[in-house]
Amino acid sequence: MIKFIFDLDGTVTSQETLPLIAEAFGLEDEISELTRMTIAGNVPFVESFIRRVHILGKLPVDEVAALLGKVSLYGKVVDFIHAHADDCIIATGNLDCWVSHLTKRVASRFYCSSGLIENGRVSRLTNILKKEQVVAYYKNTGAKTVFIGDGNNDIEAMRTADVSIATGLTHWPSPGVLAITDYLVFSEEALCRQLNQLLSLARA
Amino acid sequence: MQTAKSVVITCAGIGSRLGMGTTKALLEIDGRSLISWQMELFRDVEDVRVVVGYQANDVVKEVLKYRSDAIFIYNHNYFDTKTGASFYLGSRHANEFVVKYDGDLLVHPEDMKLCLATEGEYIGYSDVMSDDAIFVTVGEQGDVLGFSRRKGDFEWAGPACIRRDTIKYTSGTVYNQLEDRLPMKGIHIRACDIDTYTDYERAVEMVRGWQL
Repeated sequence: MIKFIFDLDGTVTSQETLPLIAEAFGLEDEISELTRMTIAGNVPFVESFIRRVHILGKLPVDEVAALLGKVSLYGKVVDFIHAHADDCIIATGNLDCWVSHLTKRVASRFYCSSGLIENGRVSRLTNILKKEQVVAYYKNTGAKTVFIGDGNNDIEAMRTADVSIATGLTHWPSPGVLAITDYLVFSEEALCRQLNQLLSLARA
Repeated sequence: MQTAKSVVITCAGIGSRLGMGTTKALLEIDGRSLISWQMELFRDVEDVRVVVGYQANDVVKEVLKYRSDAIFIYNHNYFDTKTGASFYLGSRHANEFVVKYDGDLLVHPEDMKLCLATEGEYIGYSDVMSDDAIFVTVGEQGDVLGFSRRKGDFEWAGPACIRRDTIKYTSGTVYNQLEDRLPMKGIHIRACDIDTYTDYERAVEMVRGWQL
């Protein structure tokens, strides 16, 4: 048994979702510097995420969900996920209420962070997903685990997984990811080739 | 196009014997990086895998100029391991047959085409040229019978095609692992591997002689 666990932003989606929300609602200035410092590793991911949700949580949840429902996706990656839906999982720090439309386009099990919604807005975070716990859960079921990601919040999950694949589909992977990854790919073709190879070996 | 084969190029090493302060993949050979010559050799191979370690970011960026669909594999322990570990890491999730290709190796393009078109396992050997050769003894039918550090008829420049499921982890070199599997089919090739500065000068001369 093998389980492929995907990061969402920049790995399955070809746009980073939080900057996309900020841009759509005119909050780029507040978010962009924070995003840049987070990707560079200068602000811890959890702190950055809390600060970004504090800013973006004031937006109407239904409008944010509708926006992310239309985010562009990596077609070949999504095709792989759909072809092997039982063995593919998405692990994202994003809020479940924000990706509720997107989950309908990617037929996969989603693990997300969550928040309390009051008056159609996110009033506070109630859970921040630790992706490594998702990997550990599937490892404990006896599955061989493969984690695919690109950011600092993927590092522990990649370290926990049996096989880790760093992706540079949207941006150069974070230095911390490259310090521990098994594989690195820059195209959907290379990623899907490696995923299919892992799948065929696991089934052999 | 070869779809059942993977090519694994091992480029993780420091290149300390060469003493040019750079990993060998980035050496300039007649105006181009060594890895760019190698990408040219394998342009028709779908599954090209490059094992990186020392100066990984620089090697990755150089390869991406020629192949955006290459798969990179990290040997994080490159300082304490040799080609055997890099080859295992590059091969373990590859196709059924794996072409091993050392990152310090240049094979004449016509001979590499012949190798890639050859079915099954083989070892590529060349005339003795290197300063620090691994020698091979070859039988009457061209089969490789033995390896030696001291003497032999030819030199093992490095290329070989091996079934993935026979490749094991070793902290040593690949030929130590192949010794148990001899005799194996041999292919005589024109090749040069670059371990020393003299080898490097020889490689530059060699590519200038290629009529491409």
